[in-house]
Amino acid sequence: MSISTEQPNEVVRRSAAPPPKRRAISWTQRPGWMSQHLGTALVGAALGYWLGHWFGNYISSDYSYVANSGQNSIADTLALVMGVVGWLAGIGVLNYPLAKIAGREGKELEDVKDWTRYVRLSSDHKVVGLQYVVSVLLFFFTAGLLAMAIRTELLSPTFHMFSADTYIKIVSEHGTMMMMMASSIVVGPLGNYLVPLMIGSRRMAFPRIEAFSFWLFTAGYLVIFSALPYGGFPTGWTGYAPLANQAGPGMVSYLFGFAIIGVAMAAAGFNIAITIVNYRAPGMTWSRVPAFVWGILATAGLMTLATPSLFVAGLFGILDHTVLTTFYVAEHGGSSYLWENLFWFFGHPEVYIMALPGFGIVAELLPVFARKPLFAFKVVVAGELGVAVLSFFVWQHHIFQSGIDPSMRPLYMLTTELISIPTGFIFLVGMGTLYKAKIRFTVPMLFCFAFFFNFLIGGVSGVFQSDVPVNVTVHGGFFVLSHFHYTILGGLVFAFFGGLYYWLPLMTGLEINKKLSLIQFWTMFVFFNLTFFPMLIIGLLGQPRRVFTYARALTGLNDFASVSAFCLGASFLLFAWTLAYSLVINPKKSPLNPWDSLGLEWQTAQPVPVHNFERIPVIMTDPYHYSEEGAPKLADFGGGSSARESSVPPTDNETVLR
Amino acid sequence: MSGENEMTTASSQPNFPGGTPEEREFEMTTDSSQTSFPRGTPEEREFEFRAHVGAMWSGSRLFIAMYTFLLASVCFAYFYLRSSNNAQLWRPHNVTAPLYYGWAIYILLLFTALMALFGQTRFRKGSVNDWQIAGWAGVLSGLVALFLQIFEFTKVPFNPGSSAYASIFIGFACINCLTIFAGTYWLETTLARSLRIRKELGGTNPELSTAFTARSLRANVSAMTYFWGYIALSSTLFLWMFYRF
Repeated sequence: MSISTEQPNEVVRRSAAPPPKRRAISWTQRPGWMSQHLGTALVGAALGYWLGHWFGNYISSDYSYVANSGQNSIADTLALVMGVVGWLAGIGVLNYPLAKIAGREGKELEDVKDWTRYVRLSSDHKVVGLQYVVSVLLFFFTAGLLAMAIRTELLSPTFHMFSADTYIKIVSEHGTMMMMMASSIVVGPLGNYLVPLMIGSRRMAFPRIEAFSFWLFTAGYLVIFSALPYGGFPTGWTGYAPLANQAGPGMVSYLFGFAIIGVAMAAAGFNIAITIVNYRAPGMTWSRVPAFVWGILATAGLMTLATPSLFVAGLFGILDHTVLTTFYVAEHGGSSYLWENLFWFFGHPEVYIMALPGFGIVAELLPVFARKPLFAFKVVVAGELGVAVLSFFVWQHHIFQSGIDPSMRPLYMLTTELISIPTGFIFLVGMGTLYKAKIRFTVPMLFCFAFFFNFLIGGVSGVFQSDVPVNVTVHGGFFVLSHFHYTILGGLVFAFFGGLYYWLPLMTGLEINKKLSLIQFWTMFVFFNLTFFPMLIIGLLGQPRRVFTYARALTGLNDFASVSAFCLGASFLLFAWTLAYSLVINPKKSPLNPWDSLGLEWQTAQPVPVHNFERIPVIMTDPYHYSEEGAPKLADFGGGSSARESSVPPTDNETVLR
Repeated sequence: MSGENEMTTASSQPNFPGGTPEEREFEMTTDSSQTSFPRGTPEEREFEFRAHVGAMWSGSRLFIAMYTFLLASVCFAYFYLRSSNNAQLWRPHNVTAPLYYGWAIYILLLFTALMALFGQTRFRKGSVNDWQIAGWAGVLSGLVALFLQIFEFTKVPFNPGSSAYASIFIGFACINCLTIFAGTYWLETTLARSLRIRKELGGTNPELSTAFTARSLRANVSAMTYFWGYIALSSTLFLWMFYRF
């Protein structure tokens, strides 16, 4: 395929004619405070909440079970549902589907150029990506504060800051918010921002679905946060029945919040997967698709297919609370194990929804800083796809101790152990890429090294937990807790931070302060390990999760972990300061392509134009030909306004000097 | 480009009043969420348009895959609770939801799917009126099915918590409302779009069928019909599960 760079007669002829008539944008999207934006979304949410609550009380306050319990789950649920509808209507998500009923295609969304576009509905994937950056960090810091409260409580086994009931509710809120955040931490910000740039596309396939997914994601944050004023929920992030059925109105926030986050995830994954499949630039064959995009594609597939079962599980839970169905009540024909199965059918792919983008980031960054081609590219892809497929066949290892026929255990033990093989591919590829490399120890690269270190501990501690005897022994304790913090915080979040430091100069056009970011990395890495490694020991010594007291002999280790956790929290504050200092207080323009990357996303102009590329590039090779003599050009940009016409890799000498 | 022979340029087109369909499309489309870009060359616009049509095709298939996982979760719950039969309360006294409602909803959904299929077939052959009559009949049928599915909640001979069957039926009915609404909305918006396109393109001249908007509509109709076929198929399964099994 070839894309002509010449102006065709048709276009030349038009250039002499008056410019084409632009359609007027809707008043709802015009700049100014009278149009639709975050403020109107909040007003819509408040009105919807009030209306839903009133209507719920109106239709159900006479029911005997409502009158006798003094708790009206119908009103609470309708309030949340209408609140979310009001939120979406207020921001403008519903304008387009309503216009479609009359056969209209809707008004354009692009004309706002100032900073207020970041608090509006936008169909520009770069704006949505940056909106995601802010909101996932908001999620992260809110849930991080709750983590600090947990560690404060665990400073002493006898002196208590909180009651046992409050403690478990804090733990539950922390876990749920973190899981919701982590499910979108890479796909949301980096996936949305970078995927079209990396595949040579000028747009997303379904930009309105992309915007919808973001604003529903933020609504999910508000809904799950509403659990706190509702009195919280005592089930942990897994929401197990029958405890969930006995819980108060905060449980409805959990169920509804998780369900709509599921819909947001499915919508985001759907849009990204379809974009990658259909909008790759000419010449961008599957073997030239960057490793990061492969990781995002595998994740998007999981998000699209795994979250429907979460939605169904949440819907059934809400029906149990509102119209008194008995899905999860064994005494009335239901089964609490039904929740466990539906939840974990989503929950285990969810673990890989969190891990796979991290693999993709690391595989993308290693060649840049090793100045070597990515070792065994196809093995990375096989690893990412292998993990994605196998993740659908392992969920029952979460219920080894309950709700599973013991004779089925070996099967799930085997599938769980199998998944360590494609995961190991990522390590092999990483080590192969680093072998005999002239490594540049930049901050993003340090995060990649930290990823390998942390994920190795998390992965190894996970492999033998897949064995039933070990699983039965350590189940429900701090060992498991430490294991998944090593994989999610130590793996995914470290990879995300590495990716953020790497791509922020592209996203903002500004340089991130090197000294501050270096200090931030080392404090985060050291205190992360000092926090969570002792927890492996604490777990092996028998301390259970979700309990606010423990054996006195474990006080020293717990205090050590708590103080380290506070320092870890401080490292995240330092991260916020680093961003504020580099982007607001002392902004310095970043050089074009500061890492000398061959990635397509770095080859366009900066700041990235609205439509990404002046001309659709024609891709000629993959982006990993570092330090190769006579390497082919990455792409033909057709004389457009790309940052560089050719991407001839620097020589080794140049690399070292840089 | 594989489809270069389909390229339309000003010189190769017959004279149209007000310009070629492509030119009118060019003037109409300034929104980046539409199918072409004002700054694109014809080849680029064709490339992006093909990607857009491909996105509709693969999007509808992926949407069906996603919906399959949703409905499979309902099926799993049904058979899990049925086989567990906790407290012997799967379905005491073999009480089922009203059979007449089940059949009525099923027949209406089948009719809508057939109308969508018939309409699409006629649409492909250029009989726009047939497509619209069939489509609006399908919309009406879908709306009646939706009404009956909601109304059935008031006619079920059990309380939601009286048995596992009762619970799963209520859960299924909620999801079925969502399914019927989604399918009917898609059909209605496609029909409304086809009406408006005539106005936007300025008539029903057969040559206008080469315009991006018209080709996009055909892809949309095809994807929508596929989804309705899927609804009809899944409804057959659920009719058997909830009313006959």
